[in-house]
Amino acid sequence: MQYPDFLALFGFGPQGWGAALLRGAGVTVLLALCGYALGTMLGGLAAWAKLSGRPVARAIASTYTTVLRGIPDLLVIYLFYFGGSQALTWLMGQLGRQGFVDLPGFVAGALAIGIVSGAQHTEVYRGAFRAVSTGEIEAGRAVGMSRTTLARRIVLPLVLRHALPGMGNVWQLTLKESALVSVTGVVELLRTAQIGSGSTGRPFDFFLAAALLYLGIASVSGVVFHRAEARTQRGQRR
Amino acid sequence: MTDIAVRTQGLRKSFGSHEVLKGIDIEARKGEVIAVLGSSGSGKSTMLRCINMLETPSAGEIQVGDTVLRVVPDRHKGTRPADPRLTREVRARVGMVFQSFNLWSHRTILENVMEAPIHVQRRPVAEVQGEAMALLEKVGIAEKCHAYPMQLSGGQQQRAAIARALAQRPEVMLFDEPTSALDPELVGEVLRVMRALADEGRTMLVVTHEMGFARDVSNRVVFLHQGVIDCQGTPEELFGGRGSERFTQFVNA
Amino acid sequence: MDVAFLWQALLTLLPGVPLTLLLASLSVLLGFLIAAPVAAMRLWGPRWLRVLGSGYVFAFRSTPLLVQIFLIYYGLGQLESVRHSFLWPVLREPFWCAIIALSLNTGAYGSEILRGGFLSVPHGQIEAARAAGMAGWTTFRRVTFPLAIRQALPGYGNELVLMVKSTSLASIITLLEITGLAARLISETYRVIEVFVVAGLIYLALNFVLTTCVALMDRRLTAHLRPVNTPSMPGDPA
Repeated sequence: MQYPDFLALFGFGPQGWGAALLRGAGVTVLLALCGYALGTMLGGLAAWAKLSGRPVARAIASTYTTVLRGIPDLLVIYLFYFGGSQALTWLMGQLGRQGFVDLPGFVAGALAIGIVSGAQHTEVYRGAFRAVSTGEIEAGRAVGMSRTTLARRIVLPLVLRHALPGMGNVWQLTLKESALVSVTGVVELLRTAQIGSGSTGRPFDFFLAAALLYLGIASVSGVVFHRAEARTQRGQRR
Repeated sequence: MTDIAVRTQGLRKSFGSHEVLKGIDIEARKGEVIAVLGSSGSGKSTMLRCINMLETPSAGEIQVGDTVLRVVPDRHKGTRPADPRLTREVRARVGMVFQSFNLWSHRTILENVMEAPIHVQRRPVAEVQGEAMALLEKVGIAEKCHAYPMQLSGGQQQRAAIARALAQRPEVMLFDEPTSALDPELVGEVLRVMRALADEGRTMLVVTHEMGFARDVSNRVVFLHQGVIDCQGTPEELFGGRGSERFTQFVNA
Repeated sequence: MDVAFLWQALLTLLPGVPLTLLLASLSVLLGFLIAAPVAAMRLWGPRWLRVLGSGYVFAFRSTPLLVQIFLIYYGLGQLESVRHSFLWPVLREPFWCAIIALSLNTGAYGSEILRGGFLSVPHGQIEAARAAGMAGWTTFRRVTFPLAIRQALPGYGNELVLMVKSTSLASIITLLEITGLAARLISETYRVIEVFVVAGLIYLALNFVLTTCVALMDRRLTAHLRPVNTPSMPGDPA
């Protein structure tokens, strides 16, 4: 049986899938970045709601985090993918445009990932805020800082320092969740591997290659976060 | 221009149903060094923290220099400062030194000292930096200016905290048990700095357990007991036996 | 609110619960059987075993579960040696492939939890056992292991909840657990939101039950850490 040369299969020549896989990896990273960005915003909002003490805000935020942490990510993706198209079609119908409107898989996927990672971010920020020493905040108040100055110069930098490790974790999770978006047809890394394996009949090679690429992205991300953490930990007793 | 540096009138503070301060009238003139003594629960720290409104009094008013701070009722918290902006303005004129130093851990010592003058008082950076370095020299830790707080000993951190308060060019300095969290051998270096400040003629209110400091450095001793001023007077008077029965018991404990 | 449909959806999805639970519990069990030796390898093994263990954990924690599932379900079929082996009847079944992938995955995470549990046992208590004359194995059995397990319980309970969520990925390789049934129902009826809500509620209910059980077990096992209120007997001096 012909076993095509590994290099030919994954190289960058006309028969090679190397370029496609790298493109897929690029889409994966882009997808994860979009979802992660959405997640930081939602997480910040929900953490603020939980910490604010206002009962209604707290209840909404708590429901959000409990629900999103208790149901499978795949379900959320299905909701946004199938449901999103329906909602968009209805919306467009209201605005006069007839016919089925498809919500792009990328958008649905990014939204879904964003909503899920938002719940994870909430807990990270909440824990980080609690960990900030109240004494340092008090000293800020004592020198006459306004709430905004206090938040900007003291609270936020300190919260960030405590939040960074958790945020790194959430990024790694988001990266892995992006693989689920392949069910919507978006041509990210896993989908590319599926297409390749279907086309060449070599699933093991392709999924192994995909796994290695995910490993690579995860490792590089890990180093980046490690560096960032080291910077914020300057002068701290470890 | 008043001669009064700090004054409280009818100061009351309750935490929930527990009344900690039951009406404190205290006054400090410019240049006075007042030692505030009392056992735990007497309310001495609370009183100090009411002066710069870190705790909002339940009743009464605070005067710093010519400015009077009042409280108004609040639906959720009982009372709140009548004028938050004025409160912050007063805080910038009052230097506070905490028991646990409370230096900002994400900034170097020099950055800590420069933070309030630049970001609250909005003074020019070059001027602030020069003054900050001079202050660090004065408290004896100039060489640590680029270190981070956690890299310093407790005594060094507290001296840095004092420099930070001094950088605000305060009219009054509040010390909340400044040496209580220090190892015994580090207490001396902080007391020395405080003594130098007193000799300069700074107005200082010092809540402390250091009897030596109260006796030798302060102009007046105020003894709090269960939320009221039990007795006050010069150190000679109180330590000489002319204080109240309770005070003598407290000192000899 | 179409209650009739919600009820129908519930009846359609509930049959997926046994499979979900089976996948989750079997994987966690097998995963524990993998995690314990791997943790031991990484804690006390010679260098090459430590590297092996760390490599396994790194690989399975840094790549998406879906990739791992595809590798095993589709990928293994590519290899001739596998197709001709006695294991093939097992390895071509989606159910067993899912179990293998899930077990390997939770094995990696579980070994980290167990490792953390062992590392957190206060050294002083081990020393006390030695000082009392306990032999090495007895110390392990009576002191180290029980303490480590108690420390690892909350983390492992969380892992169990995550596993229940992860079983949803089995739907992608044709298994009809809750999510699989939900996806089929959505494609048949296009009632995305209702199906999502019902499926989500089922998962939330499962997680609630699981979390409660784990919490109860945790309470019983950590009674030694809580202060005891001894009521005074009549006749005791005040």
